[in-house]
Amino acid sequence: MSTMTKQQQKANLLQGTLDMLVLRTLLYGPAHGHQIGKHIQRTTNDFLQMQHGSLYPALHRLERRGWVTSKWETAPDRNREFKYYRLTEAGRKQLVVEESEWKRMAEAVARVMWPVTE
Amino acid sequence: MRWWQIRKRDAELEREIESDLELEEEELRERGIPINEASYAAKRAFGNRGLIREQTHEAWGIAPLERLFQDIRFAFRQLVRNKRFSAICVLALALGIGAETTIYSVIHAVLIDPYPYRGAMRMVHIHLYDKDPAPYDLALDSAQFAQIVKSPVLDGAIAEDVYTMGLTDSELPEQLQVGRMSQNAFDYFGVPALLGREFSPSDGAHVAVLSYHFWMLHFAGRPDVIGRSLQLDRQEFEIIGILPQRFAWTGSDVYVPLPKSSDPRRPANVYARIHAGATDAEVEQALTPMLNVFAKETPANFPQHFKVHLVHINEIAIGRFQGFLVILFLSVTALLALACVNVAILLLARGETRRAEIGMRKVLGASASRIARGLLTEALLLSLAGGGLGILFALGGVRLVHLLIQPLPSILPSEASIALNLPVLLFSVGIASLTGVLCGVWPALRLCRTELRQAVDGGTHKLAGRSGTRRIHTALLAAQVALTILLLAGSGATVRKLEQLLHASLGYQPRNLASVNLVLSDGAHNNWADRIHYYEQIRDAIARDPDVISAAIGHLPPLIIDSTPVSIPGLKVGSGQVIAQQVSPEYFSTLGIPLLRGRVWTSVETAHAVRLALVNEAMRHRYWPNSNPIGQALVLNNGVANGNAWRFVAPGDDQHFQVIGVVADTPNKGLGEIAYPAVYIPYSMMPFDGFDVTIRTRSDPAGLLRAIKGDVHSVEADQAVGDLVTAQDLLEGDSLGRERFASHLFTTFALLGFAFAVGGIYSVQSYLVAQRTRELGVRIALGASRRHIVKEVTRTSFIAVSLGSGIGVGSNIALGQIFAHWTNSNVRDPWMLLGVIGILFCGAVAASVAPALEATSLDPANALRAE
Repeated sequence: MSTMTKQQQKANLLQGTLDMLVLRTLLYGPAHGHQIGKHIQRTTNDFLQMQHGSLYPALHRLERRGWVTSKWETAPDRNREFKYYRLTEAGRKQLVVEESEWKRMAEAVARVMWPVTE
Repeated sequence: MRWWQIRKRDAELEREIESDLELEEEELRERGIPINEASYAAKRAFGNRGLIREQTHEAWGIAPLERLFQDIRFAFRQLVRNKRFSAICVLALALGIGAETTIYSVIHAVLIDPYPYRGAMRMVHIHLYDKDPAPYDLALDSAQFAQIVKSPVLDGAIAEDVYTMGLTDSELPEQLQVGRMSQNAFDYFGVPALLGREFSPSDGAHVAVLSYHFWMLHFAGRPDVIGRSLQLDRQEFEIIGILPQRFAWTGSDVYVPLPKSSDPRRPANVYARIHAGATDAEVEQALTPMLNVFAKETPANFPQHFKVHLVHINEIAIGRFQGFLVILFLSVTALLALACVNVAILLLARGETRRAEIGMRKVLGASASRIARGLLTEALLLSLAGGGLGILFALGGVRLVHLLIQPLPSILPSEASIALNLPVLLFSVGIASLTGVLCGVWPALRLCRTELRQAVDGGTHKLAGRSGTRRIHTALLAAQVALTILLLAGSGATVRKLEQLLHASLGYQPRNLASVNLVLSDGAHNNWADRIHYYEQIRDAIARDPDVISAAIGHLPPLIIDSTPVSIPGLKVGSGQVIAQQVSPEYFSTLGIPLLRGRVWTSVETAHAVRLALVNEAMRHRYWPNSNPIGQALVLNNGVANGNAWRFVAPGDDQHFQVIGVVADTPNKGLGEIAYPAVYIPYSMMPFDGFDVTIRTRSDPAGLLRAIKGDVHSVEADQAVGDLVTAQDLLEGDSLGRERFASHLFTTFALLGFAFAVGGIYSVQSYLVAQRTRELGVRIALGASRRHIVKEVTRTSFIAVSLGSGIGVGSNIALGQIFAHWTNSNVRDPWMLLGVIGILFCGAVAASVAPALEATSLDPANALRAE
């Protein structure tokens, strides 16, 4: 029971940031769910392991808000269809907003944690 | 998002997940993991698909709706699985709701909103009282009426005279009741016509407005009746309108304008409406000076010294029924309470049984709120089903009431229209739902405090079951038993009353006995001698009919006539009240009333208005207990003979009579009451303008009306004859019918209540046995005797029934006074109470037998294994 709560805590903390990470990933170009997860995992050196349980809800949440769109397309190197997500104009703007928010939060936390001695 | 869209999205999500899963698998295979392991590893890495779907659905925002549907489906399945339990609950609720709503709708229609007239609750009869307990209705001539209408104290007044006129345009004239009303009457009532229009001050004197029932009866509801002519007592009236069904003022067939007349011997009754906010006392005081002036002008229409008293129209109409209806309401509320208690017991018992299931659900990950929501849904579903069925029962109930009271027109005012009362329906459904919900959710609420393991174990630690629950069950059962006793006692009382009435000694023979009413047309036979000669002719013509054994002039009992003062000069304590009846000499033989002493006067003596009288046994007993009344003198009405335009007085009538005989008693204060002292005098003393002819027939009198009309026609062609009423009908319609109705109703309620109580006992017993199976197994294994087991099992119900009986009998005795005041029956009769308790105990025993037997036949090995 205790492990479940720790994971739950982790998920809650990341929910807001997860949206931001997904939008950032999509800035490079369209991708499907699996690719997004793998990309984040690789870029953080396996630190952030993507739980599919959080990824799909996040994607659908972003789609509902109009920050991404989705379409079923055939992958270039396979003869199978995948659901590709793309960033919209509104999504681009949202990314900028969230990025600045995150930076401000990080600064505030840093000032508390490591105060500069006068 | 519509549900088909949800399905599409869901399918897409599945596809998405599926394709990504395959990718994951591929990657793992590329890394070198063998094929079947790869798929499992992929799934593991992927995570819980079901959970993913749920969380995505959450993101879509439809999750709450999904959960609701899930709850409903699950609840429905649960209820269907336990058919017997669900059926009993739903039925109990529906019966309680249906009965309560029906009865309350009736009460609302009768007590609270019976009249369609404007300001009906402020309409009054103006009664004048002097020393007599019986009042005079205010009667004024047209000049006086014109004054009182303008009085600032009153919000309008009408004058009315109810006449009996003959419909003379048919071969055998029909007798109609005609309400002659002042020109402003319809404006006063404020009820618009159904068809055509009503008369107003601008109309002439020869217009008529028909009542709804007369229009239906006589003209079959044809709309072309407007403009046609109606002939009443050989005068033509133009029909100008039809009244709606609810307008039934004095129950007249036709309404015509009251002709103005200043003849003081032709007054009309006056009814008025008081202003809103004025009290009766204020208005009485304000009217007294004006009435005193009128009394001086027309002393014949007023008692000598009088006081004014206003009586609202609904007080007169409801009269004795108010108490009856209130008792009915209380009983049916008790029934609803019983139903709710029954449902509560069942739900609680079942809740306890499901503790293991709930524990399991908690273990599997359901949150407490989710479980509570599920139970709530079940309880709500049950309550709504009960409510829905209850609405159907209520609709049927109202229709049933209509059917039941049709042969009893006197039981409710004719203007009352009984319809389903919506607020009460909602209230009943609300109460029932609340009960269902509270008791359904109760086990979940208690579980929040329970340890998980204890719940799953099913109570290993406490072998004997939880004492808290047992106390609740005992209390609920006791409440049921107490209420049932009250209902049974009420029913028993009314049944006994009915028995009494059925076997009451009548003092006359009602079989093959009937009477018809005849009324003279206005102005016919306008002097005393002519009138009594004419009456005798009619009586004789009817008596000669081959199907008639004998005919007499006089009213059929049981009847209630106002009493008259009497004084007996020869006695020291010789004054009081008697009921004076005017009859022809054949009356006693026709009705079969035995003559105990002396003789009856002859027809010759009648024709000469010889002042002879007969007294009944009750009178003889009161005034001459030890001496012979024959030859004694008595004086009626203080020696004053009050005649008027319709009532002629025999020449030389000074109301002094000589007693010549004694006859047996008949019910003259209502059926079942002790006979009042009565005096019989020849009808020729003061012949009214209408009379009853009572006939004893050879066979069933019901079909004889036509023959009798023919007999009357042979004497005078224009004489209208009223309806034939048999003695049996009168008995039924008056008291027997009412008592029968009451006892049927109460008995039905009592039986229902009894069924609830017995059902409750049975449920609790079965549940207790099931709950304590392990404990009972242990006891049997340790050597307990059968008797011991039975005693153990029935202990709860025994306590409950005893407690309930005690409370029930106690409240019965306490409320006995109130009950007796309202229904004339006695609830405190000890034999009846014992009988009631006996029935209840038998029922309780019968209900406990099956579970108790089951308990004693437990195989200890099985019982201990049971889980």
